[in-house]
Amino acid sequence: MEYRLNRDVHSFLDPRTKLLLLFTSSVFVVGNAGEKWMFVFYWILVYLPVLLLFIEKEWKAGLISIAIYVGSYFAQTALQNDLTAIESVLALMLYIITKILPTVILARYIVKTTKVSEFLAAMNRMHVTDKLTIPISVIFRFFPTVAEESRAINNAMRMRGIEMGAKKSTEAVEYRMVPLIASCSIIGEELSAAAMTRGLDVGKRRSCIWKIRFGIFDWIIITLCVTCFIWWGIGRFFI
Amino acid sequence: MIFFDNVSYQYTERQESLKEINLTVNDGEVVLVCGPSGCGKSTLVRCVNGLIPHFYQGILTGQVTVGGKDVSTTTLRKISRHVGTVFQNPRSQFFNVDTTSELAFGCENFGIAPEEIEQRINTVVNKHDMGHLMDRSIFKLSGGEKQKIACASIAVEPVDIIVLDEPSANLDYKGICELQKMIASWKEEGKTILIAEHRISYLFPYITRALLMNDGRIVKEYTSKEISSMPEDKLHELGLRAEKMTDPSDIKISVCDHTGQEKLILSDMKYSYKGEKPIFDIPRLEIPSGEIIGIVGANGAGKSTFLRCLCGMERTCKATLTVGSERWNNKMRRRNIYMVMQDVNHQLFTDSVLEEVMISQDEENKEEALEILEALDLREYADKHPLALSGGQKQRVAVASAIASGRSIILFDEPTSGLDYEHMLQVSRLLKQLQEKGKTVIIVTHDIELLRNACTVTIKFDNEMYRTDARM
Amino acid sequence: MEKNNRLNAKDLINVGIYTAICAVICCAVAMTGVIPVMMLLLVVFVPIFTGIPYMMFLTKVKKFGMILILNTLMGALMWVTGMSWYALAVGTVSGLIAELIYRAGNYSRKWNGIIAYAISGIYCWANYFGIFFNAEAYFSTRQNFGQEYIDAVTGLLPVWMCPVLLVVDIACGIIGGWIGTKILKKHFVKAGIA
Repeated sequence: MEYRLNRDVHSFLDPRTKLLLLFTSSVFVVGNAGEKWMFVFYWILVYLPVLLLFIEKEWKAGLISIAIYVGSYFAQTALQNDLTAIESVLALMLYIITKILPTVILARYIVKTTKVSEFLAAMNRMHVTDKLTIPISVIFRFFPTVAEESRAINNAMRMRGIEMGAKKSTEAVEYRMVPLIASCSIIGEELSAAAMTRGLDVGKRRSCIWKIRFGIFDWIIITLCVTCFIWWGIGRFFI
Repeated sequence: MIFFDNVSYQYTERQESLKEINLTVNDGEVVLVCGPSGCGKSTLVRCVNGLIPHFYQGILTGQVTVGGKDVSTTTLRKISRHVGTVFQNPRSQFFNVDTTSELAFGCENFGIAPEEIEQRINTVVNKHDMGHLMDRSIFKLSGGEKQKIACASIAVEPVDIIVLDEPSANLDYKGICELQKMIASWKEEGKTILIAEHRISYLFPYITRALLMNDGRIVKEYTSKEISSMPEDKLHELGLRAEKMTDPSDIKISVCDHTGQEKLILSDMKYSYKGEKPIFDIPRLEIPSGEIIGIVGANGAGKSTFLRCLCGMERTCKATLTVGSERWNNKMRRRNIYMVMQDVNHQLFTDSVLEEVMISQDEENKEEALEILEALDLREYADKHPLALSGGQKQRVAVASAIASGRSIILFDEPTSGLDYEHMLQVSRLLKQLQEKGKTVIIVTHDIELLRNACTVTIKFDNEMYRTDARM
Repeated sequence: MEKNNRLNAKDLINVGIYTAICAVICCAVAMTGVIPVMMLLLVVFVPIFTGIPYMMFLTKVKKFGMILILNTLMGALMWVTGMSWYALAVGTVSGLIAELIYRAGNYSRKWNGIIAYAISGIYCWANYFGIFFNAEAYFSTRQNFGQEYIDAVTGLLPVWMCPVLLVVDIACGIIGGWIGTKILKKHFVKAGIA
């Protein structure tokens, strides 16, 4: 079967749109700007990331998130008045989780669906300097590596019977951290060497095989985000 | 054309060096640079791709010219337009997360038009029949597949010189076959190829000549014919690996009799990744105890995963190992089986070799620890940091702590990947030492020479799953 | 080695790698922040635990800008993962100050490194700004918490706690940085990889 490269990015949204959405969500969901005035937008921004999960066919993650939302909503209404200290603590925990969860889902969605190459190109079009975009793309690339390495170290510790809390806890931290950093620094060195022999450099024009452009869904999301800010502005300055 | 004019180099932070290298490589040549580890072959290759002097710190004298340009005055970016490099470690040479972008990465950096990159990718992918590897996450590929992507991503770039730095170090038989095809097609396209390697027989059909290095110098030059007709022991003398390419599924195993011998009985071992069909399913396997057992098998048969399951690291894998009258579950196996991992860096935790051995002891006993080190030639390194040692020494430290732990079964995951002949022999002596101490040693390997040298029993792993034990 | 002082790809890749490591550690520590008391202790734990990778990072810093970029990115990551935007603003400024301090020590002096780390780490403290500057708004949306709890928290967090937390944060930064240099010497320098 002959292979033909499809240069249309399979992802649903443009990287720039994703970042705008993340920004908006940080301001209004986590930052809680506008509060009650932003009620409707708040809930749209909370549930939108779940919709994105469904579009990416991550049914399980999506359903779990909805279950958490609904569960904590009812728990919070149940924990309404005259709480004891412990109930308050519980309520606060639920509150923090529901605040942070939407952005976490969104951030994960972005990392998962954005190609490094596509991200570099999109940022380049917005004239963001390489000095930020190269480290960010390395972060994308490196999260799974850090996870892989720490899993291997963890396994080795379990096998040797040096587990967290087993002996001295300071040692448990040291034993975990030292091989991780050593290993990551070696991988990093090799990664830099490889990237540089392939022509990666700062401030040079790159091309990008992926076709990045705004589609209809991008415009919808952008409109949503812009409306959020306008509506907030109206509430803030005119009412 | 590559031209070395009286080149010497000394790293600031490392021992190895190059001494008075004079060399001319003509366009279209395929040159093998071989020699034992530490001989300077990787250093030589780094002078060609510009990592020396632009990336590593050290002192360079003399002049290296690549395609008419002086390497030391040309930027790395400009050199990389002409020279492509395939590295040893497939897990650290990718900048992207998905394979397709990785293929395009070099060309994108040079600002080549997307339409042209598209065409180049299509050509390479179809030529090497790797459509199934496209649009995948590099974190989900096997070592061999990663190396194939690394080669392909160089093939996509419009370079005319390709250097490979021990590209086969982490590859099994199938991976090497793929690598061969890649090199053959580059040769056909008339690219100039320079390969640093000590496992050499797989390259015989392609090379035009071979340079033997030792202690930073080129000591001898062989024609392709001379080196490929050299007898095994001569190659071994030069520190090179002589193994002929052997398909592990062709290894003949004759059943032999272990009746009367004590056995470890592994039962009901099944493992699968989430939601996929099982990668192995072993109802019952008898492992004669006190032997050195080599496990061989085709790529992707899940040999390393098997080891992880065997020593109880994979939580989802339930199995029982019967040792004498005891039945070990996961937790018991984790306490009683020691595994020396492929990347030993992950299992060295302390700040001195001695300490490393002592934390494995049930009760700290310095005398005994020093004795163990003595037996493994590590006495003089007792105060050194384990991470400061060479790969082989690190491995011995891991073995020392295995002995100190007093566990009776020791597993090795590819203990000789990337080792030259001398170091392979060292490992094999080490394994025999363990056997003499009455340990049962189980090794997963694709190294046929190690298998011949050390293993007393071979178990073949293939897609049908495990079977047969025998002496080779 | 390129002699010039422009940041090259290697430097930027290093920044990315250490940001990733620090972020993973921060994240692991911050998970405990859902428990309200632990939230206050973040200024203690984050600076102490990220000290080791940060000190390792400083050994790779030889040019202007690397600390600043790492801090900006850490601030940005904090912000998008649910802290306040103050983290980004404070992180950028403190990164710049840290950069200047470390540069004054020729990118090598130990105590400049420790102080630079302690200063740069105050983005962690900035996360509390929301509570201090905007306490009423902060709790207006948290009506359901019961007055008892709100009183307890605001009692714990009067405005004068703000500078106290800053001091705690910097002190822990110094401790973390000091531990970091110890570990660096004990392991990485001895092993020859730093």
